Amino acid sequence: MAKRKVGALEKVEADLPNLRNRIKRDPPSYRDDFLAQFLQWESLRELFLQNPSTGDDAGLVSLRDLIEFISHTADCYPSVTAKFPGDLQHILQAHHEDLDPELREKIVGSLVLLRNKDVIDSPTLLNTLFPILVSTPSKALRTLLFTKILSDLRSSNAKSTNHKLNSTIQTVLYNLVTSERDSSKGLWAVKLTRELWKKQIWTNAKAVEIMKEASLAENEKVIVGGVRFFLGSDQEREEAADDSSDDNAIDMSKLKHQAGINKKTKKKDRQLRQATATVKRKERKKGAPLPLNFSALHLLHDPQGYAETLFSKHVQNSKSKISLASKLLVLNLVSRLVGLHKLTVISLYTYFLKYLNPRQASVTSFLACLAQATHNLVPPDVLEPLIVKISNEFVSEASASEVAAAGLNAIREICARQPLAMNDTLLQDLVMYRKSKDKGVMMAARGLLSLYREVGADLLKKRDRGKNAAMGLRSGEQTERRYGEEDVGGVQGIELLEKWKEEERAKKREALGLPPDADLGDEDEEDDADNWKNWEVESDEDSDSSGGWIDVEADGDAINISDSDDDDETNPPSKKPKLASATPTPAPTSQSQSVDPEAQRISKLLTSTILTPADLKQLKALQEASSITATLPSHRRAQLLAARHADEPITADSIEAPAKLGHKSTREEKIAMAKADRETGHQSTTAMRKEKKASEGKSTTNKEKARAKNFLMTLGKAKGKQKRSLSEVRKTMRGHVERSKRGGKRGNRG
Amino acid sequence: MGSSSKRKKEKKKDFQKPKLRVGKAKPTAANATNTSFKAKSIALKQQSLSANAPTIEAQCAHHLALLTHKSDSQRRESLAYLTTAITSNPPGLPLPQPVSVVLPTVQRLILDGSNAVRQQLLKLLQSLPKDGIASYSDQLLLHTRAGLTHLATDIRVFALDVLEWLLGVAGDEVVSCAGGWAKMLKCFLSLLGWQNETSGTWSAPKSFGKSGGDAKVQVKQMTALASFLKAGLCTSQTPAQVNTSGGDFPLWHTEHHLLPGRSNVYAHLNLFGAARDEEAEMYEDREDRQRVFHTRAETAIVAGLEQSVKGGGELGRASAQLRKVIKEGMADYHGEDTAIQ
Repeated sequence: MAKRKVGALEKVEADLPNLRNRIKRDPPSYRDDFLAQFLQWESLRELFLQNPSTGDDAGLVSLRDLIEFISHTADCYPSVTAKFPGDLQHILQAHHEDLDPELREKIVGSLVLLRNKDVIDSPTLLNTLFPILVSTPSKALRTLLFTKILSDLRSSNAKSTNHKLNSTIQTVLYNLVTSERDSSKGLWAVKLTRELWKKQIWTNAKAVEIMKEASLAENEKVIVGGVRFFLGSDQEREEAADDSSDDNAIDMSKLKHQAGINKKTKKKDRQLRQATATVKRKERKKGAPLPLNFSALHLLHDPQGYAETLFSKHVQNSKSKISLASKLLVLNLVSRLVGLHKLTVISLYTYFLKYLNPRQASVTSFLACLAQATHNLVPPDVLEPLIVKISNEFVSEASASEVAAAGLNAIREICARQPLAMNDTLLQDLVMYRKSKDKGVMMAARGLLSLYREVGADLLKKRDRGKNAAMGLRSGEQTERRYGEEDVGGVQGIELLEKWKEEERAKKREALGLPPDADLGDEDEEDDADNWKNWEVESDEDSDSSGGWIDVEADGDAINISDSDDDDETNPPSKKPKLASATPTPAPTSQSQSVDPEAQRISKLLTSTILTPADLKQLKALQEASSITATLPSHRRAQLLAARHADEPITADSIEAPAKLGHKSTREEKIAMAKADRETGHQSTTAMRKEKKASEGKSTTNKEKARAKNFLMTLGKAKGKQKRSLSEVRKTMRGHVERSKRGGKRGNRG
Repeated sequence: MGSSSKRKKEKKKDFQKPKLRVGKAKPTAANATNTSFKAKSIALKQQSLSANAPTIEAQCAHHLALLTHKSDSQRRESLAYLTTAITSNPPGLPLPQPVSVVLPTVQRLILDGSNAVRQQLLKLLQSLPKDGIASYSDQLLLHTRAGLTHLATDIRVFALDVLEWLLGVAGDEVVSCAGGWAKMLKCFLSLLGWQNETSGTWSAPKSFGKSGGDAKVQVKQMTALASFLKAGLCTSQTPAQVNTSGGDFPLWHTEHHLLPGRSNVYAHLNLFGAARDEEAEMYEDREDRQRVFHTRAETAIVAGLEQSVKGGGELGRASAQLRKVIKEGMADYHGEDTAIQ
């Protein structure tokens, strides 16, 4: 009898991966086998539910493998496996504490897999995982769940923002934070929100609201998490955005080269196409305008109420048990809010009074917070006692130089924000410290002096005022700003642009043979049209609308902002800037007269036209060209100050900075500093090239190999060379010449 | 040459004596062993230090623990030890370990990967006293069912053996326990490849893991199914006639007021467990089982039998046997059916 032929399929036994593979290719044919496995799963599940804590290593096929198998193939038989996800959820929810860790991990992974196969939807998955994340005692499971939840949220927001899911989850998190204020469960809400904020997946006010509630919790960890979010999340977000653009860049040219050389398969072809698509997508993303994301601090509803509650609940409240470090963080946030939104929390300033002495722990942070909480709407009489206290406690001959420097610097920072808080005797006293022998103290005092030369020179002694300030005072150009007074809106250097435009227009007119300063009728129109041509960003609608605007102006009887001025005064427009510079003589008597030209000055360019990007560029160039004074050190300092954005915080470091000036650095520090800006490990170009080759797994050149060859191995050949006959030598020489002509042994031709 | 002088230096280095100095620590030798280690625990090779021999109970407990050992032979030997301990137990005395301890640990091995272990397990099961098993039948049945649906053919065949034994020992309990009837029927149908819902006119594809045309296995499956149906459908023994005549005159219906003979009488009410669906329900009545069999399995089985009877040979004989059982078991059901109509 012949041997029965054994089919390939029959050989395979107890091999779930193999069966899985076959099922994926042809689900209807293997339905029976799948059913058997599903029955097996059901009976194993029943067994398992009898005693959930046992390991599942009984038999050849463990429950773990079965779960994996079924979750991979569940989408092929939706009717059979309808209950499967529910069963998994049930097992996980009911027994996650006493499950075998590996099995638990597998169940979580399978649920995520089912989600990716769209067998279950995101809310179901997240509603299963999130309660476990919050309640499980196992750290490994928490980490796993956290990453899974995060990645699911990311992937469901990848193509477009899934508002529905986001708002569901945000509500869940919000409820989690607000329901149990004294438990540490809220920390998960904080972590999740922070991570999603960092990835720019959640950018709305609701996410900020969650963090706000977290910072108002009772548990210290949750509070700190919430507060840190407000203090550092935006920077973190920017950094993450920078990072993401750099990493895993695809080298397209290399891929194309490889595709030309390597064997061509469908898979490689597909990979290449995918890579091209990703590169294209990335480039398109690069070209797209940056998404305008508001900082968390700006998205807060009711910052006043929030700051007040934060302050009274965590900082001022004597019953709150949070540590000093966390308290400082909260205080930092409160002062940040106060400074940024110009809030009024009067009790905050009196609170500081208690902590302003040099023996207080981390006093520089307190000083920084105080400076941060100061803005121009804080009543000066609230700040005055604080400044007096700082100067009494910190700035004296008896105190250490670092302390004095920190105190002076703190006073400077406060006064930079509210100059009215200083009186002349105290200021004159403090300014005297610029004669101090310690460099830090001296620099700090000088800083104070130069500040007041700009903002309140009349408080200084006459000889301290300096030339510019004294002249400004005399001419009335420099005046003390009053409490609550704000800058009148305008664009810096706009008069320069105006002047330039006039000149350009005059030139054009001369070229046309017209008088340079005739009446401007349709000239404006023409000019504007030119401007719109220069608009750098292409946009059709804008130019259309601009045409409409011009029409109105040309007809304009109703609008007499700029034209009427020209008609009435009949001044050549070129004189305007001069007039503008002359106008500010705001002696209290002439104020009523000066209002009118002031209004003119603002209105002329700003109200009648829209500045195009070309205009702005020109404006910048004009500013740079005109400001010779800007290169002077004092101006540079002012520019630096102006460049510092109002949103940026003041840190303890910036308060301590001048104190470090006096400090003598040790030898090690000097060496480290000298080395810091130099590249480590210098290499020659050849060495670098060699290393690069080696790292790519490529070999060296033949020359290099010959050089490295053992001397004894070359000896025989060298000896043989000497004994060659003349014809032999000629032959080799010819060969050499021939080879070099051809371009090496393999040659260029053929 | 440079290299040779260098080599010379290197050679010299090997024989240089380290200088010893007063007040300095002695330099350590190159081959010194670092003995400063710490251990949280010390493992002894000898596992028990007691001198007197352990009792047979203790040894049985030890071997029960060894049933989860990773080595096949160890598991088999432990089973063998337990088997001899039970068989050599003099009648009348209690077992070295009670059935309630042995069975729950042993039953997992139905799904064991090694054939030898499984055979030994069957021997152990057969050696157990028959009266103690009934109350564990549902657990055993769960494992058996898991074995029947296993991917490995060996385990599937072995599970049939276990089922035969189980039916012999506690047939009534098996068919009436939760999920024991409907699920087992479903399981058998899928084993034999007799599908209830015909998925079309296509010929049934050969199954993946089975050694498909193995008639022997199929015969075995059919005989197992026959004995299962026999246990479920046929009234094997007529219940003892209740003595309605007032033997003990003042008491009526005494048998209803006595304590029940078996444990967990109200299990069918399922007071504390999760809700059951139709498959997992308990079917304690013969009529119930007949109804379930009729609605769920009968047509498929009859159709399948037709095919296999034609085959003749051993398979034909087994299927004839099965058909006889079905006819016997369903005889009065059809009668009822017609009676209702």
